[in-house]
Amino acid sequence: MALTLDIVTPERRVLSVTVDEVRAPGVLGGFGIRLNHEPFMTALEPGRLTYLEGGREHHYAVGGGFLQVADNKVIVLADTAEAAADIDVARARKTFEEAQDRLLALTEQDEGYGAESARVKRAAARLRVAGS
Amino acid sequence: MPSLRDIRNRIGSVKSTRQITKAMKMVSAAKLRRAQDAILKTRPYAMLLEQTLGRVAARAAQAEATAHPLLAARAERRAEVVVITSDRGLAGGFNSNICRRVQRFLVESAERFEQVAVSTVGKKGREYFRARKIEVRKDFTGVQTHLTFEKAEALSREYQERYLAGEVDAVFLAYNEFKSAISQKPVVVQLLPIQTAAEADASGASIDFKYEPSRDALLADLLPRHVSMQVWRALLESAASEHGARMSSMESATKNAEEMITSLSLQYNRARQAFVTKELMEIVSGAEALK
Repeated sequence: MALTLDIVTPERRVLSVTVDEVRAPGVLGGFGIRLNHEPFMTALEPGRLTYLEGGREHHYAVGGGFLQVADNKVIVLADTAEAAADIDVARARKTFEEAQDRLLALTEQDEGYGAESARVKRAAARLRVAGS
Repeated sequence: MPSLRDIRNRIGSVKSTRQITKAMKMVSAAKLRRAQDAILKTRPYAMLLEQTLGRVAARAAQAEATAHPLLAARAERRAEVVVITSDRGLAGGFNSNICRRVQRFLVESAERFEQVAVSTVGKKGREYFRARKIEVRKDFTGVQTHLTFEKAEALSREYQERYLAGEVDAVFLAYNEFKSAISQKPVVVQLLPIQTAAEADASGASIDFKYEPSRDALLADLLPRHVSMQVWRALLESAASEHGARMSSMESATKNAEEMITSLSLQYNRARQAFVTKELMEIVSGAEALK
């Protein structure tokens, strides 16, 4: 039996492949999944999701979401997800800087703080993944 | 009897109208395909989200955890209905159907709620209710010009915040459900408090997941996304319906223009024939008189 990985976002299905291993950024820290992992469900931080297939690493930038594994099926419900090669670095950097400027002007109590800080984290994750 | 020149001018103008409606129909057809495609693309996420939610909620229900505030129904006093219409007209009954449906909803729910506010997405809805002296609490503009999930999320977040703050006790979405290119169905569905999550997913409930950080925290994260997804779907359905409605209304407009051109051409030919006959008669009778 093989381990399968599906990544879907609200806008499209991003990926559906058979893999050897998945590494993902959970809210309580990074973790890896291999064959016959116990049923597990977690929220994801914006960050880098990597899967190994035939000895090769593939990187994706995910912008938060959920991951669940059961019966050797890994399902990622991501808010956003892009392959490392598809990331528009210039745009991510611009978003990052703009959102960061806006965020610095806000305090945690302000309306929109959560959305802005999520934007910063997502852009930062994109930049990290594109750089690796 | 209109002169030959008048008829010719009218034929010309109807022909250019036909050209416009024909072009609009083709544009709508292309947009419709894209909109339908967008709906199909959200299906996997929507399905998996429902499934996940079912699993988590089923477990939560078993454990008798305190219900999440977005799930808990409370005394329904103030409700709000968000009407999704289009920014542009020329789409047959697309906008008036949904607006009339909402008016009916307002009458029907008058007993259930003390107060029902109306908010609109799209210019046409705003105009409709303003013209009827029904107050529009908030008008969301520019949502449809370039539809993104982020915009749906912003709208859904705003309502969740208002719901949690107790400003509103129930939120409804009114939109045209996409049935096919030629048929749309105006519907009013409840957005908040969330209703569907209560249905337990029996298949998933048997799997004993390990949750991180915790089941309740996951549920609290999943529910807002479920709401956003509903808004997103409503916006997409409405967009597809709009293009479908415009396509079919433009098609019938083109057909009408063609019929008009046919009948005007007939009229034109008849008038020309009458003119020719009259001239001939004059020539002949002139020649007869010279004999």
